[in-house]
Amino acid sequence: MSLREISKVTGSREIAENTFESTLHAPQIAAMIKAGQFINILPSGDWPKVMRRPMSVSGTEGGNLSIIYKVVGDGTEYMRSWENGVEVDIIGPLGNYWEDFDKIPIIIGGGVGIAPIFFLHNTLKSKNLDHYMIMGSRTADEHFIEHDPDSKILMTTDDGSYGIKGNVVAAVDTIAEKQDLSDTKLFVCGPAPMMEAMKDYALDKNIECDIALETVMACGIGICQGCSMEYVPKEQKASSYREKYGLVCMDGPIFKANEIKTCYL
Amino acid sequence: MLEVKLGDITFASPITVASGTYGYGNEVEGLAEVNRLGGIVTKSVTRQPREGNPLPRIAETPSGMLNSIGLANVGVELYCKEKLPFLNNLKTQVIVNIAGSSMKDYLETMEILEEANGNHIGYEINISCPNVKEGGMEFGVSCHMTEKLTKEMRKRTSKLLIMKLSPNVTSIEEIGMAAQDGGADAVSAINTVVGMGIDVKKKSVKLHTVFGGLSGPAIKPIALANVHKLYKVLSIPIMGLGGIASAEDVLEFILAGSHMVQIGTTNYINPNIGVDILQELEDYCTENGLKNILELKGQLKS
Repeated sequence: MSLREISKVTGSREIAENTFESTLHAPQIAAMIKAGQFINILPSGDWPKVMRRPMSVSGTEGGNLSIIYKVVGDGTEYMRSWENGVEVDIIGPLGNYWEDFDKIPIIIGGGVGIAPIFFLHNTLKSKNLDHYMIMGSRTADEHFIEHDPDSKILMTTDDGSYGIKGNVVAAVDTIAEKQDLSDTKLFVCGPAPMMEAMKDYALDKNIECDIALETVMACGIGICQGCSMEYVPKEQKASSYREKYGLVCMDGPIFKANEIKTCYL
Repeated sequence: MLEVKLGDITFASPITVASGTYGYGNEVEGLAEVNRLGGIVTKSVTRQPREGNPLPRIAETPSGMLNSIGLANVGVELYCKEKLPFLNNLKTQVIVNIAGSSMKDYLETMEILEEANGNHIGYEINISCPNVKEGGMEFGVSCHMTEKLTKEMRKRTSKLLIMKLSPNVTSIEEIGMAAQDGGADAVSAINTVVGMGIDVKKKSVKLHTVFGGLSGPAIKPIALANVHKLYKVLSIPIMGLGGIASAEDVLEFILAGSHMVQIGTTNYINPNIGVDILQELEDYCTENGLKNILELKGQLKS
């Protein structure tokens, strides 16, 4: 069950180019939330819009939730100027979470999708589960984690200015040189083209792959039916509900690669 | 002070929540005090389950949002099995919203609900969904069809019968009169206003269906105008809705002639808004010497 909590901003900083991390004191939600789940927030007490803003959580510590975000719209534009002590109305935890780590996880994030992957990285570390982490970006300036292949942490840049040159697929290929990918499972969250590329890669090579989708959202709790995604068609029925279109807030945000028709929402 | 009656039914307050913005009541568990609402109007129920429209289905607009959900819902049979038990345990009044694509659909859905063991006290009939071809608009834009459907439904239930009207018509008064003549206990107004969003960067529309329904504070003046037009000609009560976000908005609708109100889109940012404003409404009554909030109904000074 999710709940509503009035949190307080306890810290904010720019950790990479146009990438911010804020911490919010929300002990009740922080105690419950798992990697992959999200929160739906009002960026300010007098938020003038009619929709909350869904935010991925990047970790928890001592009653605090961390969120990592890029400034992409009015909500995040407002959030970048949050000062400590500001009250933020949160609904959470929402959605499903990353699970099933029987195979070696290869966790892959990029762009606005780095938060749930970073949370998963720390969850796996706390469980002492061996895994690879890949973060993709266009340039070095957007990275905030050290490229450390010996620790199975791989950074990629489109322009080759840091880590492996190319997109995240190039990084998975370097893993494939030493590791049978059929013993691994991919966990992906990032921009739609990246997720689509990883979906195709996973389906082509028959690797298990879970993908966290992102889309515009109003209620976050399955009421408005606005945050739909489309499943790969199964049996045709004359009438059905949530078999053709799923809801990212309730049925996801995490879906299996082989059930997602497209990551472009 | 806030207690109101509609037909024989007593509501703890005139504040209810609008169809499609509160699901079937269970979704907000832990987020809202559902039992403190005057009532809830359920998400539209149709004869068969519906997937709804292709995506994208929603887009934010200045002071509002566009939606084109397309009546996605479980269908009446699963509603009776899965949603009704929870609703039956609520202490607030439940009004089931029915949508359909044909007379047969509407009537069968109602017949199934009448036979089900539900504690709902009434029905709101959606004849005004702008987002599906078969969403009842052929009824909602025609006086003849509105009256005919209302009559047929009236024959089948003694529960409250509320027809939900569209603002996307030439004369909402005429449609309202038709509902009244057909035997409706009340009308609710307004459903969403037809709108469109465009993404210049992509040179594309923001909703798959091109047109959608605009809701939220942006439509409040349109809603007030329609409620007031109806109030001038109808003898049956009006449930007013459209952009209500505060206690003051509720008072505006009552002054315009609403008997009760529904809160819609604002539930998305605050699922407890319908309860949060109760104290302010009571205070208003006390400060203005009102024994009941409905003493204010239609009391606009000319």
